[in-house]
Amino acid sequence: MAEDKKGSVLIVGGGIAGIQSSLDLANSGFKVYLVEKGPSIGGVMSQLDKTFPTNDCAMCILAPKLVGTGRHPNIELITNAEIEEVMGEAGNFTVAVKKKPRYVDEDKCTGCGACTENCPVKKMIYPLEEEPLPILKEKDIQKIRAIIKEHREEMGKLMPVLQHINKEYNYLPPDLLRHISKELDIPLVAIYQIATFYNAFHLEPRGKHIVTVCVGTACHVKGAPGLVEALQQELNINVGETTEDMSFTLETARCFGCCGLAPVITVNENVYGKLKREEIPKIIKHYKD
Amino acid sequence: MVCAGTACVSCGSLGIKKILEDEIQKQGLENEILVVTTGCNGFCGQGPIMAVQPDGIFYQKLTPKDIPHLVEEHFLKGRPVKRLMYIPPGEENPVPLISEIGFFQKQRLIALRNKGLIDPEKIDEYIARDGYRAMAKALTSMTPEEIIKEIKDSGLRGRGGAGFPTGRKWEFCRKTKGDAKYIVCNADEGDPGAYMDRSIIESDPHAVIEGMLIGAKAIGSNKGFVYIRSEYPLAIERLGTAIEQAREYGLLGKNIFDAGFDFDIEMKQGAGAFVCGEETSLIHSIEGITPEPSQRPPFPAQSGLWGKPTNINNVETWANVPRIILRGADWFASIGTEKSKGTKVFSLVGKINNTGLVEVPMGITLREIIYDIGGGIPGGKKFKAVQIGGPSGGVVPNALLDLPIDYERLTEVGAMMGSGGMVVMDEDTCMVDIAKYFLAFTNDESCGKCTSCREGSLAMLEILTRISEGKGKEGDIEFLEELGKAVKDASQCGLGQTLPNPVLSTIKHFRDEYEAHIKDKKCPAHTCKELISYYIDSDKCIGCGLCSKKCLVNAISGEKKKPHQIDKSKCIKCGVCYDSCKFEAVIVE
Amino acid sequence: MHKLKIEDLEKIRERARRATLLREGDSKAKIIVHMGTCGISAGARKIMNALLNIVEETEVKDVIVTTSGCAGLCSREPMVTVELKGEAPVKYVDLTEEKIHKIFSKHVLGGKIVTEYALAIGSEREP
Repeated sequence: MAEDKKGSVLIVGGGIAGIQSSLDLANSGFKVYLVEKGPSIGGVMSQLDKTFPTNDCAMCILAPKLVGTGRHPNIELITNAEIEEVMGEAGNFTVAVKKKPRYVDEDKCTGCGACTENCPVKKMIYPLEEEPLPILKEKDIQKIRAIIKEHREEMGKLMPVLQHINKEYNYLPPDLLRHISKELDIPLVAIYQIATFYNAFHLEPRGKHIVTVCVGTACHVKGAPGLVEALQQELNINVGETTEDMSFTLETARCFGCCGLAPVITVNENVYGKLKREEIPKIIKHYKD
Repeated sequence: MVCAGTACVSCGSLGIKKILEDEIQKQGLENEILVVTTGCNGFCGQGPIMAVQPDGIFYQKLTPKDIPHLVEEHFLKGRPVKRLMYIPPGEENPVPLISEIGFFQKQRLIALRNKGLIDPEKIDEYIARDGYRAMAKALTSMTPEEIIKEIKDSGLRGRGGAGFPTGRKWEFCRKTKGDAKYIVCNADEGDPGAYMDRSIIESDPHAVIEGMLIGAKAIGSNKGFVYIRSEYPLAIERLGTAIEQAREYGLLGKNIFDAGFDFDIEMKQGAGAFVCGEETSLIHSIEGITPEPSQRPPFPAQSGLWGKPTNINNVETWANVPRIILRGADWFASIGTEKSKGTKVFSLVGKINNTGLVEVPMGITLREIIYDIGGGIPGGKKFKAVQIGGPSGGVVPNALLDLPIDYERLTEVGAMMGSGGMVVMDEDTCMVDIAKYFLAFTNDESCGKCTSCREGSLAMLEILTRISEGKGKEGDIEFLEELGKAVKDASQCGLGQTLPNPVLSTIKHFRDEYEAHIKDKKCPAHTCKELISYYIDSDKCIGCGLCSKKCLVNAISGEKKKPHQIDKSKCIKCGVCYDSCKFEAVIVE
Repeated sequence: MHKLKIEDLEKIRERARRATLLREGDSKAKIIVHMGTCGISAGARKIMNALLNIVEETEVKDVIVTTSGCAGLCSREPMVTVELKGEAPVKYVDLTEEKIHKIFSKHVLGGKIVTEYALAIGSEREP
């Protein structure tokens, strides 16, 4: 380690990039101030399983660096802080940093977490505000109760419940999901994880007519991209969108399995096979009237 | 009575007799039917000739390939084959036999043996075709070890793609200790352009149930799940009906056939996520948590659904099981190649005359599938390649048409058996576009857990898009290859490990096409829009005005009966004019 | 329905086998409409409805109209298989409602194969 201090630098952001830069600069003799918005450094990498492209374990790379940063005599950590103002010019900056309060003596804290568990006013430490549940119509309440009752005994019941709601409402109304979360005692975030993972679930209401273009391989080589283009033009919306008057939603699907008819589109339940681009306007017109 | 007069012998009647005897034995009718040779019947012009007594039916002009049909229809089902009987001149029947039609002739049906024959909603019709006999045999007269041995000896391998030996998988799961074990039928057929699993369930759902019952007995499981795509409403309905009927008959439930064995099946629906076809994802999806794959080991056979030992097989694999148990491992192992036994169902789609579902013995060549069964390419176009195995597979080019199809050979050439989608492409299909198509698919379907898969597929897709827009650079191909290798090595599940295949195999077999895009800025197949332009050949155009009427953006103008022009600034290159012109005056370059 | 024993399985098998082969009973013909997803998309349901209508109108009692799964040749759908008592089944392809009328009157009632729509005679086999 170079002993003579060459000057000081301030690094904003305590992710892996900030940590590595801090270590490199500190090792070459700079005094480093590492400013991080959150209460701890580590950033996104600390949440990853593996890193590309070497498939190394992310935490195994990161952990020694975290410790190194914390111990380094040339690095001063300023966490829970944000930059207010930067003044001066290259070579001579003055930076105003706003440190947020935390009411804990950092030098003595070991991070055991006991205080968060015992804090009588939990909200003061990590605000997790619980919004009141949205008020639903009586018939919606009846409906979700019936749905939950039907699937309550099933193993892995969340999926069937969501599928049932999706079928009833044509999408997953977010208000209902909050009720489901409470009723099934599954965190809302877990429900959203599932709801946004699958293609069949939608969080926004969909149109009266659902136009779906099959973009399976067979349809692709037989001209499905042209059909998508024509439909976008005809309906004036992109794939995944709904027309303003809520009459059409345009979607694509991975193979209906009627490759013999390729290229295929469906409007609601009706199948149109061996379709040519110029036939699109006529089909849409049929549903408009 | 086969005629052995000189005239008939000279046109092959003794050969016919031999085949007839073999066929009768195969059908187990040797005690009921006696084959004898007779002297000349005097009808020598119509030989070889055969008479069947006591029916008094007279067959003529027999060929070896008529015999199996004749035995099946006449002797087994008691329906004389009119077509082969003597017909007075003028009343000939021009309708061919099934065995004379290429599409049917080269197929061998095991998994699809009941397709189109039985009503899938009637359990009795399945029972009529030997249904649930294999299960009765397995339940009452075989030990689990014997069942596993039979499956192992048959050489059956997983039909879902990777081709892991089914018997070994079962054994692995059997030997794992656990208070409860599960078996799963994977019917989450996500490959675009593949629909064999759906078709098997739609036409013969009980075969899958019976297969699962046998597997459950072998492994020691009492509960099964069928994980099925929600995009298959009809299959879901029919399987649901089948499960209900099996329960009514006591074929599912407690103490089946009084053999002290309980088993029941529950259906679970997917919701449209390709990655759920992967074993560990599928398990998570059934459990109702985020369906991201997890590290193997532990394999599902050690710790699967809710941490219990779980055995997962594909629909087609399960459908093969009852036939193997009933007809024996040797019979099954006699079909196919050295390492790949039995048959495989392919969905033959794309630019081919006979689109459909075909079941062929392993080791059949691509040429037979495409030309004999598929009937060749429509419109007299040239065959270019076939894409096998969906987004995990690769292309097999024209030069490898005589490649016998089995697991190993396909892997050698950079493709993959996959679940069995076979998309045929002709000269108008651009290989860069196909690679781009699959990458867009996998990039969209990547669950995002591994960076290599999530970001790697995006990086590759960006490069391919650039190439298809004519902005490719020297070195792009090499970089794609390098990236592809890295993504393969660094991803956790099958989706990531195989997603570079479509790119790598198209580069391997069609490198010149990539180079044409990059160096000459040309798309040889006229698919990539940025690289083509349409114009009208003024010598050929007669000014009919059809194209200008059809043009969606009014880019074509010209006086009637005089050659028209395309305004390139307006043209959106949709190709409608090209398709509509009857005089081939619209040229694409 | 009581629980099956192995002997019952054998009985059902025999009975159903006779029924499906038209060896028994009063039916002289069976028409199978191939209704997989692909067939239905191609219009098999229309064919089915047309057939049921014809059967009702003509008041024919000895013809069974039934469904089955995909026959494999998806590009030629809708398909039906017509089986007359004592004869090999005939597969018809690329059907329309008009064609099915003709097939019904000529083949099912008249016993003559409509050669212009027929694809093939016979059934496929397991190796």
